[in-house]
Amino acid sequence: MERQLFFSGNEAIAHGAVRAGARFACGYPGTPSTEIVETAARLEGIHSQWCVNEKVALETAVGASLAGVRTIVTMKHVGLNVAADPLMTLSLTGVNAGLVIVSADDPGMHSSQNEQDNRAYAKFAKIPMLEPSDSQEAYDFVAEAFALSEEFDTPVLLRTTTRISHGRGQVVPRVPVEAPAREYARDMSKYVMVPQYARQRNRVVLERLEKLRRRAEESPLNVLEAGSSDFGIIASGVAYTYAREAFPKAWFLKLGMSHPLPYAKVARLYEHVSRVAVVEELDPFFEEQIRALGLPVVGKEAIPSDGELDQEIVFRALEPYVLRKPPRRRRPVMPPAPRLSAPPQPAPGLPVRPPVLCPGCSHRSVFAALRRRKLAPMGDIGCYTLGSLPPLLALDSCLCMGASVGMMAGFNKALGKKAAVGVIGDSTFFHSGITPLIDAFYNEVEGMLVVLDNRTTAMTGHQGHPGTGIQPDRAQGPAVDIQRLCEGIGVRCVTVDATDHKALDVAVKEEAAAPGLGVIVALAPCVLMTRHRAGEVVVDDERCNLCGLCVDIGCPAIAPGDGAVAVLESCTGCGLCVEVCRRGALSLAETVEC
Amino acid sequence: MNGSVTVSLVGVGGQGILLGAAILAETASLAGLQVKASEVKGMAQRGGSVLSTVRFGERVWSPVSPHADVVIATELLEGIRGMELLGSRGTMVCAATTRITPGSVLRREEEYPDDLAGAAELRGVRLLAVDAEGIAREAGTLRAVNVALIGAASTVLPFTSEQWHAGLEAAVPAKILEVNLRAFELGRAAVATQEVES
Repeated sequence: MERQLFFSGNEAIAHGAVRAGARFACGYPGTPSTEIVETAARLEGIHSQWCVNEKVALETAVGASLAGVRTIVTMKHVGLNVAADPLMTLSLTGVNAGLVIVSADDPGMHSSQNEQDNRAYAKFAKIPMLEPSDSQEAYDFVAEAFALSEEFDTPVLLRTTTRISHGRGQVVPRVPVEAPAREYARDMSKYVMVPQYARQRNRVVLERLEKLRRRAEESPLNVLEAGSSDFGIIASGVAYTYAREAFPKAWFLKLGMSHPLPYAKVARLYEHVSRVAVVEELDPFFEEQIRALGLPVVGKEAIPSDGELDQEIVFRALEPYVLRKPPRRRRPVMPPAPRLSAPPQPAPGLPVRPPVLCPGCSHRSVFAALRRRKLAPMGDIGCYTLGSLPPLLALDSCLCMGASVGMMAGFNKALGKKAAVGVIGDSTFFHSGITPLIDAFYNEVEGMLVVLDNRTTAMTGHQGHPGTGIQPDRAQGPAVDIQRLCEGIGVRCVTVDATDHKALDVAVKEEAAAPGLGVIVALAPCVLMTRHRAGEVVVDDERCNLCGLCVDIGCPAIAPGDGAVAVLESCTGCGLCVEVCRRGALSLAETVEC
Repeated sequence: MNGSVTVSLVGVGGQGILLGAAILAETASLAGLQVKASEVKGMAQRGGSVLSTVRFGERVWSPVSPHADVVIATELLEGIRGMELLGSRGTMVCAATTRITPGSVLRREEEYPDDLAGAAELRGVRLLAVDAEGIAREAGTLRAVNVALIGAASTVLPFTSEQWHAGLEAAVPAKILEVNLRAFELGRAAVATQEVES
């Protein structure tokens, strides 16, 4: 007889993850999801960690996936609300190595403040969802989820409920899956979700959803089970087990891959039976979609919309309908493939004009310093995201507010070295960069975070934030000191004048070589606020050989001219071009402030 | 188009497109018309192409339109790019002497287009090529290129001089109002001269 184990669903998911080649597990504890990471922590071959919250857990998981290892991240249903920000854009970027998100829902609110139905997130984020109905499936579906994730380049939602996560059953272990690490390749158009790239990725997502629907039609996880009556039931997860026990003679469409819904498979059930019911806990998730096909179905008029179900509730709810006169047979109306808007057509022959970092912007200096260190810079949301565009190409990722820190942490943790650096603005740091920094400290991450402190929320028009104390009416309120905050956490932190290119370069070099975690605050007020002209750049036409090093820093105030580079009127004299020139062709002449 | 007029302002982030749109919107509003306007802010502000649309008439429904009756361009390349917004009876009011070179051109990956008149002819639209920089300088500040062009465009828009002045007073901050009123009048006069000459 086969070796059998007796696992809770959560234990089965952890074992299933290791069997599927997952090497990284993280999450935030929350009933009924907690035991997945706890179990993984006892297993060989997988790194497990608690994160500070679900958002940081997901961002950490994204970092680990980018670094190339299969990663599972776990949370309870309300935790996914906290992680919804990275989730919604992760759908656009897709993954590198497989990434599975476990959402453990709690119908009946045994241990929760609400009983939201997280199947809605699969639809909302346009990602596939798997729903196991017992421990064996919980074990098996993890490998399916990882395979789907990599094949379709998408995060996959593995949704359980309390009775699956905490229910127990036999599990037959399977042969381990080979999942070699996938090498990371930087790809701005895929991982940096600035508008111009995100618009392209959005189309990829919409097309992916239809491909996934075709997969759901063929998937052995969606099974049409023959019965011996004229009654059919569509169900997933634990609700399937209740219905199966209540109506042993019924036909079943059991949905293991429950999003996107396989319309044709649903229609096929109607070829065998004249009455169909949907048995689902909480929301009419399948029911609404099936009604939209024009198919008659018994759903929430019979099955309670709140709390848990069981076989008794299901039997009593549906018994009257089994014998009722069948509704008139109708043909399903298959929704046509959704249309996409016309792809943008740039005017032919005209130069594009993407937004750029301003002349004299201190962010550019940080990018120049990071470029020399060959670290993968995980970016964030702000003006500095523009550093990802040509010719700077200085950021590898932009997911959502604060994601730079967790992604850096996950990336480095997965590779066991300082391979990535986080780059975050001061306002974004206060928005959601502090919790992941606490997380990185707690999880002993080898890493570096550069806070681009330009003393304002620049991109949206120079609003105040807690680091400046500036109020909406420009009144001065109390301000938080970033360096003291970091030191309070226990993280090494230095503040460097970002207009001092040499000092910044030295600080980055030292921090890159230092063990453990450190923060560099690159401080220089936004050049748009100061309108400061530090000097005048003078070009030595004899020495300049138009090598392009200074042009590559992406400053709009310097350009190749005839025989030598030309400095434009918009130059602020920040001197970065002088710094990068290797031939001494550029110099800074002091100007007298008047 | 149902009696409503659409004016699109195009240029480069930082050129005062939003103020130009505000002047136009205030003027139309004070003239008793319904006005709707829309613009894209945020990342687009940082030296990228920007577009702002003002629509006015007895009744305006949509805040946007893929077509414009008048395009006001504060920069030459953006003027040429903005031609595609115009139908054959449209008017392009363009700062013909203002060039802000995009990075790709600076890096010599692309070429800056020169032929504004040719682009207008190809499209069959009326062109008011204005030396808005010269006018703004004469008025007292280079930053008034936007308002100089509003002045030029005022010659093809259905408002009186008094209405324009009321709009300017409502939209322009007091301390820069005077210089902008000068720029407006000089822009308006420049087109009148051009008309007489041609």
